[in-house]
Amino acid sequence: MTLPTRRAVCAAALALLVPPVMSLPVAAAPVEAASRVAAVDWAMLETALALGVTPVAGTELVHYRRSVVTPAVPDEVADLGLRGAPNLEMLLRTAPDLILSSHFYTGIRQRLTRIAPVHISTINAPNGRPYVRALTETAELGSLLGRAEAARTLIDDTEAAMERHRRTFRNLRPGPILLVNMGDTRHVRTFGADSLFGSVLERLDLANAWTDRTQYRASATIGIERLAETPEATLVVVEPTPPGVEPVLTSSPLWRALPSVRAGALVRLPAVNPFGGLPAATRFADLLSRHLTGGTADG
Amino acid sequence: MADIATRRSISFPAPRGPALLALALGSAAAILSLWHLSALLPAHRWAEALLAPDLTDMTQVLFHYSALPRLTMALLCGAALALSGALLQRVLRNPIAEPTTLGISAGAQLALGTATLYAPAAMEFSREAVALAGAAAAMLLVMALSWRQGLRPVSVVLSGLIVGLTCAALSATLILLNGEYLMSLFIWGGGSLSQQGWSDVLALLPRLALAGVAAVLLMRPLILLGLDDSAARGLGVALHATRFGVLLVAVWLAASVVSLVGIIGFVGLAAPTFARLAGARSPRQVMGWAPVIGATLLWLADGVTQTVAATQADLIPTGAMTAMLGGPLLLWMLPRLHALAGPTDAGTASTGIERDARHPWRLVAVLAVALPLLCWAALTFGTGPSGWTAATGDLFTQLLPWRAPRLAAGLCAGAMLATAGTILQRLTGNPMASPEVLGISSGAGLGFAALVLAVGTPSRMEQLAASTLGAAAALAVMLLLARRSSFAPERLLLAGVALAAFCGSVLGVIMASGNTRAFQLLGWISGSTYTLETSDAVLAAAVATVLILIVPVTARWLEILPLGETTARSLGVPLGSSRLSLVVLASLLTAAATLVVGPLSFVGLMAPHLARLIGLRRPLTHLVGATLLGAFLMGLSDWLSRTLAFPYQLPVGLFATLIGGPYLMWLLARPSGSKGG
Repeated sequence: MTLPTRRAVCAAALALLVPPVMSLPVAAAPVEAASRVAAVDWAMLETALALGVTPVAGTELVHYRRSVVTPAVPDEVADLGLRGAPNLEMLLRTAPDLILSSHFYTGIRQRLTRIAPVHISTINAPNGRPYVRALTETAELGSLLGRAEAARTLIDDTEAAMERHRRTFRNLRPGPILLVNMGDTRHVRTFGADSLFGSVLERLDLANAWTDRTQYRASATIGIERLAETPEATLVVVEPTPPGVEPVLTSSPLWRALPSVRAGALVRLPAVNPFGGLPAATRFADLLSRHLTGGTADG
Repeated sequence: MADIATRRSISFPAPRGPALLALALGSAAAILSLWHLSALLPAHRWAEALLAPDLTDMTQVLFHYSALPRLTMALLCGAALALSGALLQRVLRNPIAEPTTLGISAGAQLALGTATLYAPAAMEFSREAVALAGAAAAMLLVMALSWRQGLRPVSVVLSGLIVGLTCAALSATLILLNGEYLMSLFIWGGGSLSQQGWSDVLALLPRLALAGVAAVLLMRPLILLGLDDSAARGLGVALHATRFGVLLVAVWLAASVVSLVGIIGFVGLAAPTFARLAGARSPRQVMGWAPVIGATLLWLADGVTQTVAATQADLIPTGAMTAMLGGPLLLWMLPRLHALAGPTDAGTASTGIERDARHPWRLVAVLAVALPLLCWAALTFGTGPSGWTAATGDLFTQLLPWRAPRLAAGLCAGAMLATAGTILQRLTGNPMASPEVLGISSGAGLGFAALVLAVGTPSRMEQLAASTLGAAAALAVMLLLARRSSFAPERLLLAGVALAAFCGSVLGVIMASGNTRAFQLLGWISGSTYTLETSDAVLAAAVATVLILIVPVTARWLEILPLGETTARSLGVPLGSSRLSLVVLASLLTAAATLVVGPLSFVGLMAPHLARLIGLRRPLTHLVGATLLGAFLMGLSDWLSRTLAFPYQLPVGLFATLIGGPYLMWLLARPSGSKGG
């Protein structure tokens, strides 16, 4: 390791004073079809993977492999660290020519732009209908990545699957669904109409029992006593459930008195990314359909 | 012989004030509760639902297994926390001692978080045992750290604060690294009273009863502990044994509450204070009325919480609401507070272990050389895709714009916080004073939080503006309050803690909602230099230079003010105006630094201590040393936070606490050859 040269130090001093954009190589011409894509947003990451594009970098891959599951991330993808704070040094060194971002990253947008052109997703933006947005944005991303054909196929396949599930549910008439994620022994998180899950329910013509406000992040944390407000709903628990919660709940009089629990109609789904795109929507619909129509029998 | 000391305090009838206060709180709470209960179930069916609930009727189930346990739990938790707080305040002779300020709650929370992630089996076995283990470990650590100082009140509180901050930093790191999975930690941090059966009540009730009996048995030695140490010893009190016993009871109570419902701050602080404000004079009266007032206070807070929550989809934790109610109430009553608990032996020299360095300026010179070395290392060395690398040539130039601004801004923020901390500690003569404790940082955080909730994804300039406004508002409130008491240090501190608790509670509400914006907030609150740009660094440098250069002018005040009011007056120092100038200066420094690194760095608490512990005690060397140490600490934190978990980046504020906390603990606990008075 050699010491930095005098010139480098002078450049450093200068760089402190002038906007750093001047000292950085910026992608010169607009890209036609990006070949080195980095995804800081998970919905964009899974959509890119589903379109057959392997990004050079993605955020929080360890957590992704555990809780998003499909589509799988190949090992060669570089990990950019936390979703809340993607590592810009790492991003810079993976030399992307397109960065897939979202509205969550408005704060660092300027700096992302200094590394490469940025594409911003609003799939999970507040007060939207994430599933509908995801359909549009998948097409957009497809043309941006030169994968228009793959995008068309993904959209058609997803819509076909949704249509199939919708018909199944129409015959089944399951009644309103109350989607929750266990917080601790006394609290759950519900998913409203503006969540990805909520808008998939809408697509499947299923009623979402949680009609209350779920501002900004499409879900609300509530005490479990409020689950009693919708006695007619089928309770669907989306994993993961924290350790230690299960034994307490099974001995809780309040939990056991909930209509779904009492009737043994409680449904449990494996982990799905609540802030995903079309792949997550499909995974959710598949799991819901499989578990609502006769538990594990339909394997 | 004890009679001499206690006869006056046993003189019943008790003053009517505390009873009236409890009655007022209780009736307001009762009205709210009756209203809620009758909205749930018509009154004529209460008896049936209470005695033999029909398990197929959901409203009866809710009445019997949710509403009633919640009401009972509010009363029990309030009483337990208040008793715990009253015991701690008495035994430590410190009016701001309570479970949260002593690290007990934070220790319990850290244990819960760690067990959730790394020992789920323990959580399946018993959450309560895990929390108790954490709380007890935190308290034992605090005791161990202050053992050498003979468990002196100020040492215990100082150690408690450091242990608490370190635990909180570790918990926040766990949350950040594990994302949504730890939603439960958010909720516990906020303290929710939601219930799903009677099991929690049945767990807490016998504990509270036992602790109550223990408190009654320990009453006589406790009263004597209110005297100073030598007098108490002369009257035959086994100081260590008594303190240990009382602390044990207090910790046990607090840990039980934390393990069952989470952290409910402020009740332990507010209830004994309210009892005193309302006219309880003797320790016996305070100890007797505090649990009653605590119980009714939490009952009322929970009633208000439920009323507000009925209009909101989101969970509002009661723990946060207590501070929102109690904070302003305490601030309003503060000027009417005549006597703070017992004789306080707070003072800059009171930790009693520091000594003067023989060549203080040489130490300063060493620090001044170390700082540029650190900067060079931080800019050059870092982790890359293939492990540790030294960036040279082109790579150095390329990475510099990403590394330099955050390092520079971090250094400035560290220096400013350390300076502010030094000023405040000397001004108040209290080793626990720091910008973080005085609520100015929390004010900035509140401004930021309001903006994030209102706008969603604010721009950089909007963030700066909102934080500045918040800090300024907090400062204004502090000044207004402090002016009434001509800036008396204890009141300033108490007001600051109340303000910090208030702001903290609002943030707690937002956090507990589990909102994705909570993560945005958490990132900033835990102090991330991640978002800093060159313009921020330049701004921070300019502000830091101007403000820090003003400080040496006040060196004479800083030398004299810690000696006490009488000395200061006789030496011709204008008390009011000198204190005002120093408070304004410290606030400006804090506001500027908070904007850069968030409100949770605690460099402002640690750097002045470190400077004093290595032997820099004269005002000017203390100031310069602390400033350099603060900058060094923050620079080092920035470097480590960027590289240690690469590519995962941890907030710099957390790192500053994680580095400084243990070092400060070591300094406090190490054997000291020459104990200065």
